Amino acid sequence: MKFLWLALKDLILVARDKKAFLTLIMMPLLLIAILGSAFGNMMKEDEEVSIKKFTLGVVNLDQGQLSKVLTEEVFSKNLSKQIAVKYYQENELNKKIQDHELEIGIVIDKDFSQSLMSGKGTKVQLITVPDTVIKATIVQNVIEQFSRSVPIEAFVSQMSQPVQAGNPGGIDIESYGKKPLINETTIDAKTKPVSSFQYYAAAMGVMFLLMTVVQGVSTMILEKEQDVFNRLLLTNLTYANYLLGKMLGLMVICLTQAFIIIVGTNLLFGVDWGPSVSGIIVMTFAFVVNASGLGVLAGSFIKTEKSFSVAGMFGTQIMAALGGSMVPLYVFPDWAIYVTKFFPNGLALQTYLDLMSGAAFSKILPSIGASVGLGLFFFAIGLMRLSLERRGKYA
Amino acid sequence: MNMLTVQDLRKSFGNMEAVKGVNFSVEKGESYGLLGPNGAGKSTTINMITGLFPPTSGEIQIKDINVIKNPKQAQKWIGVVPQEIALYQSMSARENLKFWGRMYDLSGSELEKSVDQVLEIIGLTERAKDKVETFSGGMKRRVNIGAAILHKPELLIMDEPTVGIDPQSRNHILETVKRLNGEGMTIIYTSHYMEEVEYLCERIGIVDHGQLIASGTLSELRETIGDHSKIILSIDKDSSNLDGLAQSLTSLFSEKDIQIQDHQVMVFHKEPQLILTDFIQSVAKSGTKITSVDIVEPNLESVFLHLTGRKLRD
Ligand SMILES: Nc1ncnc2c1ncn2[C@@H]1O[C@H](COP(=O)(O)OP(=O)(O)O)[C@@H](O)[C@H]1O
Ligand SMILES: [Mg+2]
Repeated sequence: MKFLWLALKDLILVARDKKAFLTLIMMPLLLIAILGSAFGNMMKEDEEVSIKKFTLGVVNLDQGQLSKVLTEEVFSKNLSKQIAVKYYQENELNKKIQDHELEIGIVIDKDFSQSLMSGKGTKVQLITVPDTVIKATIVQNVIEQFSRSVPIEAFVSQMSQPVQAGNPGGIDIESYGKKPLINETTIDAKTKPVSSFQYYAAAMGVMFLLMTVVQGVSTMILEKEQDVFNRLLLTNLTYANYLLGKMLGLMVICLTQAFIIIVGTNLLFGVDWGPSVSGIIVMTFAFVVNASGLGVLAGSFIKTEKSFSVAGMFGTQIMAALGGSMVPLYVFPDWAIYVTKFFPNGLALQTYLDLMSGAAFSKILPSIGASVGLGLFFFAIGLMRLSLERRGKYA
Repeated sequence: MNMLTVQDLRKSFGNMEAVKGVNFSVEKGESYGLLGPNGAGKSTTINMITGLFPPTSGEIQIKDINVIKNPKQAQKWIGVVPQEIALYQSMSARENLKFWGRMYDLSGSELEKSVDQVLEIIGLTERAKDKVETFSGGMKRRVNIGAAILHKPELLIMDEPTVGIDPQSRNHILETVKRLNGEGMTIIYTSHYMEEVEYLCERIGIVDHGQLIASGTLSELRETIGDHSKIILSIDKDSSNLDGLAQSLTSLFSEKDIQIQDHQVMVFHKEPQLILTDFIQSVAKSGTKITSVDIVEPNLESVFLHLTGRKLRD
């Protein structure tokens, strides 16, 4: 129980430290204001984008049928309100985009269908001019959804049937087009595109919390050099209680900030954090567990505040960059996106984006589990390290 | 029964040996003083006894617990007043005391009662709601002590608890410690003020350069310098003939007992009353004008001077 009092004490100290308190409350508000002025205009644009049609250049090198389903059924027909499809040769498309005559195009690889059907993934190249994050996101989302939802088994079974008269290709595009799974890929169905403002609100928010953790851990290390820490060591306080108290205090601070960022961006600038309120709450909590766990781990290994400040600053920058807080995740290759999930912020950002594009609570459960699990794992190592250090001293 | 036993305690920081084989023991109910100048190794010794860090070698036992093997067990019985003020400055006296009480597993009405009692003892009931940062040095020191006695420790270890405070606060603290000791609490008290340990402690250890160079009761320690008092005559320098003065004095006393300085003439003697008139007369005869007379009983300062050739507070 002592950890509760320790955490409470830390919170009282922060609340009474005018500078710390202002940083805690004002910085997120400032962040929101900056985001607002940077993306405020784009917000309106976003609304237009969802109404205004844009042209998608398509180079189809594929021999199979699936590319036709994607271009003719999905893009041309189902998304006719949003997207106009134009076909090009590859060099033609490249030139158009280079000249900014066209903003976005895709090149469908020559074994696109085959690759999809054999479950090897999508072979589509996305080419855009810079700054079309939103359009790129829409197109990418559609393609991803499409490739995920292609019922490969259905095709395989259909193809293995004896060829019937009147259906020489083996695949009936017409009937396939009517299957409900295609509808899922449309924008106005479940998946919504994530706007730049949304993206950066989540990305910056996540980075901000990371910085708060670094700040909190710096204080923790600084405290070790103070007399009150020695006094704490002489009481009945155990290391587990100490570390738990520290982590809890840090978590409350982070959660307060997260609350300000999320509610603030939502109320002041209408940033939509997705329909699942419980998802946002639980994921925020899970992220904070993860990040504070990592922070406490670092804090238990690093001795001097100075070296931590340096390591913390670099670490945060690197994690922020790799986690998608600086450059949109969309430009990362798949494997990199996968790897960034091992960073607290990478995982959190991707989950926030999922939530923003309409993911239900149940869909993000694995992320929540991973996030909390990693946090507890970090915490356990930190605790082990501290008690080993102590035992080593007294060996 | 011994409350504390310290055997051949040593501590090195790198090449520097801060504590070089210290032995002593403190009985239950006793008050024991460690007297020594800054840098003597008092805090280092105290920090090892409280289990803050282990010694390089040696043994420490509190009651029947080996502190080096089992510091947490021993810490339950001891209260520690660190040399520095270890409090949360932006919290009030009461908040601090409650927090530290909780760290010692106190709670509920027991905690409230203990905090009220301690505030009474340290004389800060009236200021309990004020933040520690608004307190004077002396008041902070008192809270620093208060935080160590909430859990009613059997052994109270205080490391220079009166450094840098006003005389009034100091007296209050000394009286508090005396009272706690009178109520049965065993006390270990370090200081570089000899008056404090003289006033408080039944037994005293004198520490210098990491070693315990003498220990015993106050009168035992006085014995080590032959129990000589010091008669000090302050003189008017202009009127004096120092050479003549020295001559007439050496005919009365042995040379090693005489000290002549610019404004002072001193004589060490076991029974100052017997020689006082002779001393004054011979000084007066040499034509020197006497401005004041002072007799100083042998004290720890002179013991330290005798043992080390240095003053306690150089
Ligand atoms: N952590 C430390 N690292 C290196 N030297 C130290 C450390 N702590 C104390 N010392 C040195 O050990 C000696 C004794 O210090 P200390 O025990 O604080 O003396 P005291 O409390 O009697 O003033 C001093 O010379 C001091 O500089
Ligand atoms: Mg000291």
